[in-house]
Amino acid sequence: MSGALLAVALRQAASPGRLALILLLGLLPLVVAAILRATGNDDDLIEAVLDPLVIALFLPIAVLTVATTAFGNEVEDRTLGLLTTKPAPRAYIVLVKLGATLAITAPMVVVLAVIVTVMGDAGDPARAALAAAIGAALGVLAYAAIFIWAGLITSRALGFGLAYVLIWEALMTSLIDGARFLSVRSYTKSIMQGLDDGTFDVFARDPIGLTVAVIGVAIVSVAFTFLTVRRLSNMDVP
Amino acid sequence: MTGENAAVIQVNGLSKWYGSVVAVNDVSLEIYPGITGILGPNGAGKTTLLHMIAGLAAPSEGEIKVLGQAVRGNPQLYRRIGIMSEHDALYPFMTGRDFVALAARLQGIESGEAVDRAVEDVGLTEAKDRRIGGYSRGMRQRIRLAATIVHDPEVLVLDEPLNGADPRQRIHFGELVQEYAAAGKTVLISSHILEEVESLAGQILLMVSGKLAASGDYRTIREKLDERPFKVRVSASKEREMASALLSSGLVTQVSLEDGAIDVLTKNISGFQAAVARLAQETGSRLYRVEPLDDSLESVFTYVVQG
Repeated sequence: MSGALLAVALRQAASPGRLALILLLGLLPLVVAAILRATGNDDDLIEAVLDPLVIALFLPIAVLTVATTAFGNEVEDRTLGLLTTKPAPRAYIVLVKLGATLAITAPMVVVLAVIVTVMGDAGDPARAALAAAIGAALGVLAYAAIFIWAGLITSRALGFGLAYVLIWEALMTSLIDGARFLSVRSYTKSIMQGLDDGTFDVFARDPIGLTVAVIGVAIVSVAFTFLTVRRLSNMDVP
Repeated sequence: MTGENAAVIQVNGLSKWYGSVVAVNDVSLEIYPGITGILGPNGAGKTTLLHMIAGLAAPSEGEIKVLGQAVRGNPQLYRRIGIMSEHDALYPFMTGRDFVALAARLQGIESGEAVDRAVEDVGLTEAKDRRIGGYSRGMRQRIRLAATIVHDPEVLVLDEPLNGADPRQRIHFGELVQEYAAAGKTVLISSHILEEVESLAGQILLMVSGKLAASGDYRTIREKLDERPFKVRVSASKEREMASALLSSGLVTQVSLEDGAIDVLTKNISGFQAAVARLAQETGSRLYRVEPLDDSLESVFTYVVQG
């Protein structure tokens, strides 16, 4: 049962246009990193490229683009009823959608984070790459849980997601002390820094710690997945 | 219907409202094995009622049981129910067979035999390997029906299943659901066109403005309607002469003059319609307008009968 549903979820989420848009956006950090490296400024790649262009921009936007369609498209084209009138637990349907979102976005985000990291001046490239990969993957997980939920509760999920990324993650966390404890971007950076303090030492300026960050990702992922399951169970399916 | 058999679908005091709009208003009904048609004009609440029976929408009030169980929050019950919504909901990138196979797998059926049988039942064997995106409207309806029956459900809930079907497909569909009914299963079909369900359904539920207006077999409902008068407003010049002529014609049971118009009650609506222009001519009256005032069962039923 899982394979068939996952295949449909992947096919729905991975439209060629959507993938092209994400890949195009992914080129931006690579180009900037290449320019900085060519001009001998590769000491700054973590701070100048990985943080603002990969973690703050590409990661949430890529996940937002795919995750909001997980249920959003089903609601819009009225195919959600095909799934909810089958003997499949709602949690199972949500987890398949989450799996499809991760399968599409995590490889792109992780590869980009790793490339930018190793292009910089990493002391231990293998360790730095692993830290970047784990941090990015967990960031994708947390964002995916949030944005899949958003796609089910509102038809304006893209707007909601952009507002969340730009207002909360980018603005409020810099203005309100302590808001970083509720920020996926902070979790991602803290996990990278906690796993390789040498390479990601610039992320230690606003530390929340590796353990807190991992717990934060776990709470956000579980909480929003639970909210999505509950919403799918209680909503009127169009 | 009144024997010892328990109702397969039990609806008790069911209402559904969206803000101040009441879509279904205090409906109670019982549905037994066989074919039951829900009939009513667009906007009568048929789809909302079926959505609630299918567990897709939560009632604002009242309760529903299908096969003795609540549907909402009970996904396992869908192993015994097949639901086909009115929406043209499909995955256009899939082939017809893959679409039915997906429905089968979601029902826990891995056998390709059931898939092929369902596809054959709806007469799409030759087109099964084509993408659904290239199907005609009628073919899409049929492949959705195949996906609905692939697990051989005890209860079929079909919302406007004949939309887009040509006469041959209607006959084929009729044979299919009649086979289901003959096997002791329960089929609930909605339609806004009487002739679609008249020949199939043993029982008809007539919905009007969110309420269950009548139930029974087609003939019973028709007889009930025929016994009741239609209220019609006639606007014409020389209204007193016209009113007198209408009363003398024997076609109306009551005439009253209201705001310069003539309100009549008639039990013979077809005779009245045929005679009104002639009576106007005979009285030298200019006929401005003839309009039904009754927005209830009668006018709706006329609408339904006329399709």
